[in-house]
Amino acid sequence: MIHKYTLWEKIGLYSAIAVFLIFVLAPFAEAFMVSLRPIESVFRVPYQFFSDDMTFAAYVDMWSEVPGLARYIFNSFFIAACVTLLAIVCIIPAAYSFSRFDYRGRNSLLTAFLAINMVGAAVLIIPLYKLMFSLGLLNSYWSMILPGAAFTVPTGIFLMRSYFLRIPKELEEAAYVDGAGRLYTLWRVILPVALPGIVVVTITTFITAYAQQFLFALTFNGKDEYHPLTVGLYQFFGRERILWNQVMAASLVGTLPVLIVYVFLQKYIVAGLTAGAVKE
Amino acid sequence: MGQLKLSGVTKTFGKAQVIRPTDLVIEDGDFAVFVGPSGCGKSTMLRMIAGLEEVTDGTIEIDGRVVNDLPPVKRGISMVFQSYALYPHMSVYENIAFPLRVARTPQAEVDKLVNRAADVLQLQSRLQHRPGALSGGQRQRVAIGRAIVREPSVFLFDEPLSNLDAALRAEMRVELSRLHAQLGNTMIYVTHDQIEAMTMADKIIVLRDGMIEQAGDPLTLYHQPRNRFVAGFIGNPTMNFLPVTATGVGEGGVTVRGEDGAEILIPVSAEGVRTGDTLSLGVRPDDLHPGEGEAGMPLVPDVVERLGNQTVVYANTRSGTPVCVVAGGSEDVRPGREIRARFDPADAHLFRADDTALARRVDLARLAALA
Repeated sequence: MIHKYTLWEKIGLYSAIAVFLIFVLAPFAEAFMVSLRPIESVFRVPYQFFSDDMTFAAYVDMWSEVPGLARYIFNSFFIAACVTLLAIVCIIPAAYSFSRFDYRGRNSLLTAFLAINMVGAAVLIIPLYKLMFSLGLLNSYWSMILPGAAFTVPTGIFLMRSYFLRIPKELEEAAYVDGAGRLYTLWRVILPVALPGIVVVTITTFITAYAQQFLFALTFNGKDEYHPLTVGLYQFFGRERILWNQVMAASLVGTLPVLIVYVFLQKYIVAGLTAGAVKE
Repeated sequence: MGQLKLSGVTKTFGKAQVIRPTDLVIEDGDFAVFVGPSGCGKSTMLRMIAGLEEVTDGTIEIDGRVVNDLPPVKRGISMVFQSYALYPHMSVYENIAFPLRVARTPQAEVDKLVNRAADVLQLQSRLQHRPGALSGGQRQRVAIGRAIVREPSVFLFDEPLSNLDAALRAEMRVELSRLHAQLGNTMIYVTHDQIEAMTMADKIIVLRDGMIEQAGDPLTLYHQPRNRFVAGFIGNPTMNFLPVTATGVGEGGVTVRGEDGAEILIPVSAEGVRTGDTLSLGVRPDDLHPGEGEAGMPLVPDVVERLGNQTVVYANTRSGTPVCVVAGGSEDVRPGREIRARFDPADAHLFRADDTALARRVDLARLAALA
């Protein structure tokens, strides 16, 4: 479709995008600016966006102020990666089964999964604590990985299932006629075709896992060396003052892994990998 | 080898019986075409032969072996899908090689077989491309390549050309006929396009509502349709049907009176017809010619399509029955100006009130010699 926008429509579109971007990015910009200010200047009145005393000192000092910082960042990344791996291993076969096989209770099972998601982790935290306690998993990485995976699986199944549903049934039938078994077909035909979907699910799971670990870490883990960054940031608190500039610096550095994962995987999110499979 | 035999095959989905008890034999090396309107069960029939759909009742035999419970590969069939169903992440080479990879064929053998298939289908220069980079016709050839590389005894085609444009379809039709002549395997082909059926088939099976209406070679179906449905389905444009009344029955045929009062003697077997019966007169558009003759009717043209080599005239009789006439390319016919159309009574068909045909006197032996 060829559609030329008038000048006013263009101005309207761009200002809407600008408003949206400002809304989303302003906190990051302010966080970055705070991280550049010396602690005395953070609450300066009147407010100054740029000032002469800006410095990267916080990015250097934070490592010595909180010696475990690198470990916390690693933990965050490690836990989120394990959660993602575990979740994907569960999501793919489950979603495939939901999308392809017909059995009793399939739809109610799917609804049940989504209902659990609605209840949310916060409500279930006490029963989960008891569960972790009786399994003897408290104060270990597992106590953060297992619930993390459990709560990302339902959404993942739902996303992955809708992706599988979009893969034409003829592809499997063709493979079946060619003599391939179910597993061979899944491995050689369906998964490669579903790769963009798998990447999307991986990214969303990773981001969710990275963001949600705070609750599990705070509740199930008491060991400092296993804490993720979200809990570790509290080390900057509670002395005579809060080192806001270093908190911001550490937070920004902490978001880097997510950014790196995203940059690394986003080239696989390409529409049209199924192009040429079937005529639509 | 590839003789296919269906005995009493039925298929029900829930309570709906989509295939009614069917018996059919397709001989080794035949090019058989299932044809019928959408929803007639032709694809279901093919999928049952392929092993993608379970048979509710009856048996399917290939080369004398009951294959009801065997997977497709063990039946010795391969199939080309309407949507091609190519693996988009694999090269053309790997697509064609897929059945061999599944069977763990040694690489040297794979190379040889894939190259041979590519030669037959003129895909040599495309082997390293992905399906996404190919045109519709090439994709269809890849799908065919994947089917022939395994050298099955029966090929199944599920409307393989319906996604191609008209020119390419005509080209692929010729290629498929050539392929059949070259390979000599049994081919079973499903289509709703009667031109594909007529041009390629050794044997056409016309289906309606899950039942075989007629099975036979194309010219038999064209000249001796068993009933009005087959007569209307085979041939393009479709046969004209005019209500007539039988006024005389004898050795020479049945004399009928049309709505304009003229009486015509149609040379058909008069079996089961009595004077006064209401019948249907069937005349193909190509058998109607503008001009006076012993049998004919006045027509008022409504729409005139000039195709260059011929003129297709959509007209109405005086009482409003639509009639189509295929006339010469430079015939002087204009909408709204009445013409007369004549036909040879020997070319006409007669159908009883229950739609069954009265047997025509056609020298089928002479026609069979043409095939």
